[in-house]
Amino acid sequence: MIADEATLTRLAGLAQRGDQQAYAALLGAAKAWLQRYFRRRTTPCQLDDLVQETLLSVHRKLASFEPSRPFTPWLVAIARYRYVDHLRLIYRRAEDELSAEQVDDHTDEPQITARISLERLFELLPDAQQRAIELVKIEGLSIAEASQSTGQSESLVKVNIHRGLKRLAALIERG
Amino acid sequence: MARNSEDFIAGLVADLRPVQPLRQSSGMGLAVLALGCGVAGTLLVFGPRADLAAGRPDALALLGSGLFLVLALASAWAAVDMARPYVGGRREGWGWTALMAATLPLGALIIIAAAWWRGSPSGLALDGANCLEFGLIWGLFTAAALTLWLRRGAPSLPRRAGLLTGVAAGSAGTFAISLFCPHNELIHIGIWHGLTVVLAGLLGRLIVPRLIAW
Repeated sequence: MIADEATLTRLAGLAQRGDQQAYAALLGAAKAWLQRYFRRRTTPCQLDDLVQETLLSVHRKLASFEPSRPFTPWLVAIARYRYVDHLRLIYRRAEDELSAEQVDDHTDEPQITARISLERLFELLPDAQQRAIELVKIEGLSIAEASQSTGQSESLVKVNIHRGLKRLAALIERG
Repeated sequence: MARNSEDFIAGLVADLRPVQPLRQSSGMGLAVLALGCGVAGTLLVFGPRADLAAGRPDALALLGSGLFLVLALASAWAAVDMARPYVGGRREGWGWTALMAATLPLGALIIIAAAWWRGSPSGLALDGANCLEFGLIWGLFTAAALTLWLRRGAPSLPRRAGLLTGVAAGSAGTFAISLFCPHNELIHIGIWHGLTVVLAGLLGRLIVPRLIAW
């Protein structure tokens, strides 16, 4: 998250007391974090739904946040629960569809395969390069924002993007 | 669901109302109250054990009741805490208490095995099933209180929360019924009272997760 832990915890405490401004800032920061968290775990077409479902759970279960504890571990627990629930729904739906012999020929398979392949390639990159490419080339952050988020200098972010993309291209060519 | 995420967040912000954070003390208060209801129910319906009423409690029965009471409180504490999720937290204290209480059924099993080895009667009487039955019934107060509490919160590990709810309910019910149960033998306390906790834990693990899903 861009905001530090102490700030987020304070915002969550204020939100519990009904402070709308603090709540808006908190949800904004939570959304950005959730997008990064779920991006590696789900397909792009399901990402927004999953983020919004989790934000809705944050909203409904705000009372379960303990103000004396840090905010992020609470958000991670909520996100993880929603993710497991999401997977369970997908598998149940897939099972239902199979049992009813209603498998649709027009699936998102190419998109999913592309995504999985990209994630596999990403795993072959060093963390710093992965992060820089994700933030700037996928999430659309500016170099300055990515630098602030990762703690890397702006020039290092640029270098990491350049080297990462070069390495990805080489991996793809190699097949 | 996907709407414009700015609009979505604006909708949540507009819907914000002040909320009272879930306090561990409130949850435990509820659990202790439920345990008290089970104890009151036992004493009102059956009355206390003769030795308790006479002010000369049996040492082993007292020890057994104490162990189940501590297990009820420790597992209720962990279950109450599970309503407030966070990653990285450790709620394993109840496990040590459960191990301590497990010395009762283990001791009973050793005595039964030794009797079997010698060819003597085991000493296990089937009338102990009454303790199991009423232990489960009086534990329902605790089960209901913890389930309601968990429904208010956001338990992120529902199966473990269910198991803890069951163990707490079984231990609370066993503690309640032990105030009436006239048996002082380790075999009875270890097998029948211990079995109540195990069975309640399994039932909690099976039933509660569906009730606390969010």
